Amino acid sequence: MNDMKLVNLELSNLVIAYALILVAFGLARLLRIGQERQILVASLRMVLQLIAVGYLLHLVFAVKNPLLVLLMLLIMAGFSLQVMGSRIQRKMPDFYRIMGSSLLIGCGGVTFFFCLLVVGYTPWYDPRYLIPLAGMIIGNSMNGASLAAERLSSELRERREEIETALCLGATSRQASETAVRTAFRAALIPTINTMAATGIVSLPGMMTGQILSGTEPILAVRYQIAIICAITAAVAITSFLILLQGSRRYFTPAHQLKGRDE
Amino acid sequence: MIRAENIVLVRQSVTNGEASILSGISFTARPGQVTAIVGPSGSGKSSLIRLVNRMDDPTSGSIFLHDTPISAIDPLELRRRVAMVLQKTFMFEGSVLANLQRPFVYRQTPPPAADDDHLLTLLDLVHLPGGLLPRDARSLSIGEQQRVNLARALITVPEALLLDEPTSALDRPTADRLGTMLREICQSQQLTVIMVTHDLRLAERSADYLLYLERGRILEEGPVEKLLNNPQTEALQRFLTPDEEASS
Repeated sequence: MNDMKLVNLELSNLVIAYALILVAFGLARLLRIGQERQILVASLRMVLQLIAVGYLLHLVFAVKNPLLVLLMLLIMAGFSLQVMGSRIQRKMPDFYRIMGSSLLIGCGGVTFFFCLLVVGYTPWYDPRYLIPLAGMIIGNSMNGASLAAERLSSELRERREEIETALCLGATSRQASETAVRTAFRAALIPTINTMAATGIVSLPGMMTGQILSGTEPILAVRYQIAIICAITAAVAITSFLILLQGSRRYFTPAHQLKGRDE
Repeated sequence: MIRAENIVLVRQSVTNGEASILSGISFTARPGQVTAIVGPSGSGKSSLIRLVNRMDDPTSGSIFLHDTPISAIDPLELRRRVAMVLQKTFMFEGSVLANLQRPFVYRQTPPPAADDDHLLTLLDLVHLPGGLLPRDARSLSIGEQQRVNLARALITVPEALLLDEPTSALDRPTADRLGTMLREICQSQQLTVIMVTHDLRLAERSADYLLYLERGRILEEGPVEKLLNNPQTEALQRFLTPDEEASS
């Protein structure tokens, strides 16, 4: 399948690439945006993080131990939780438990379904497949999950009058928060839907581009891309749904009272 | 009848720690009477009325509906029996009829149609013409929305009605009409009405019994006329004075 050899990138090539960052740095300096230092720090972090992950993947690929692969996936999920935690200002009660369990069920379930039934490679833990595929699913779900959690909290805050009016009229907490939950779910799904609609026209997806670069037939790369987009959409939907289902309950007491008045 | 016994409400907040909102509140509100809770802002009036249909729960003390403690009644059932009109009127998207049908939708029981007898009587009671039913509820005037709000609370035939500052968004003549209407409804339906207000004229017009609340305590209570004409405590005298000056 792979007749072409990928051009090797030497360290000297990377130095030339890094010059491109300096162009961005120079422009930022010219306009005095005050972010010059951040550009350098961020680019340095990017380099160090990627080198570290490169060696880690090299190790995991070489050892091919299922436990090590699973540990790697857990660490990835842990980092995504940490990123979500730092992004979201107003966290729902039990934030980490809800986000963690939803991510685990949503992404874990879809990843294994995808790897075992769609791609169907053996052994199931082959890190060459499992890690990048899971990474894409987790990364995308993380964005959907953040949007769902953030939107739910803001909707419940802004719709306080509506929700309390409904409760006064005898609604259950679930009925009263229905509109807020629906709006939050929509907000979580919209980016994925938009990306899906624009794929192939506005942008060539990363995985497909990477496969083509490493010599995969474009038609096969496209098939992989279609399959992974389906998996990502499902994972975003399931993860967000679980977050909203668990999260919306946390804002109410068992006596159908909306918590957090005067906070 | 609604009876409160020794209600204490302490609120925990992240920023201010523990704050005492209500302490040692006891009162009785009787059917066919409007009980008004008056007092300066921040005195705990709204916090108190929210306890009666369990929008919140007290830290200690009990509230009874007839002789049953409300904590022993399913909150959804309680809110059907003790209706509440919140301070800010919220109209759901859709027609006036759809708004009046909401409580039935929540309970999953068949809602009344536009020609339902009870619904028409109720519209009459709150002085709303039947022609408004198909109108978009959010396009009504604030006074009309307030009356739809009242009809929506009464449509499931509650035993008691709680009102939190019902006239805060209304002009004087509309507020006066609402006061008279409340009194009529309370007497004709033998409703137990508890109303929170800072509007003394409304209290005078519609209430039978008055509770004066300040800093979370009832400082004075009694029949409206007696309290307004002959306040015993300095606090109530002070509260009544600026309003008298403004109206004279």
